[in-house]
Amino acid sequence: MTSPMFPVFDIAGSALTTHRIWMNAIADNIANVNTVKSMDQPAYQERFIIAQELPSRSGDPVGVGGGVAPVAVELGDAEGRVVYDPQNPLADKNGLVRRPNMDLGDQMTNLILAQRAYQLNLAVVDRARESYQQALNINGR
Amino acid sequence: MTISPIGNILGAAGLSPLQGTQSATAPTGTEATSGNTFTQALENVQASQDNADTLAKAAATGNLTDIHAYTIAATEASLTTELTVAVRDRAVESFNEIMRMQV
Repeated sequence: MTSPMFPVFDIAGSALTTHRIWMNAIADNIANVNTVKSMDQPAYQERFIIAQELPSRSGDPVGVGGGVAPVAVELGDAEGRVVYDPQNPLADKNGLVRRPNMDLGDQMTNLILAQRAYQLNLAVVDRARESYQQALNINGR
Repeated sequence: MTISPIGNILGAAGLSPLQGTQSATAPTGTEATSGNTFTQALENVQASQDNADTLAKAAATGNLTDIHAYTIAATEASLTTELTVAVRDRAVESFNEIMRMQV
């Protein structure tokens, strides 16, 4: 539900959703870090979340944006890292298999980024709530 | 000696007729009473409470995809309720103040 009264909650909420989905993608990447494919199949492709800013929400007088939304998932390298592993049951006659072409260090860095961004947006929600609460405490007398 | 007649007074001729003022509180064209405004505000509160309830139900049944969706909705519901209560308190206070007036 969009509430015209507290747009900051909608905006921060959209960012929370986006970063949760980014964390899902990173989880998928880390889960498949050891997924081996045979040479006639594409390797596990790293998942990238494409995020896009949202247009202003209704009732916004100055044109502040409306937050962020995940719009697509892009896939990484399908070639993978071709590894010589003749013991592997998936290996072809030359003993080659495909492993995913991604860096676990990158994934961990992204995971920290996603987690921190999620926390940041939670902080925004909390500050906004605090501010509104203080406005409610204004006493005319 | 001839006196030339007074022409249109500059400025006054260029004035456009008064536009109908729009009522901010009564979109249906009914009389804008504070009662109407309060009814609308209460409907707004009701809507945000309903939204929080729906999400709470989703959380209880394991259908909630975003944890923050519920907590934010609950915060919104509590804030709108607090705001309505504050407005009611001020309105009642003003009313009492007027009732205490010596005539």
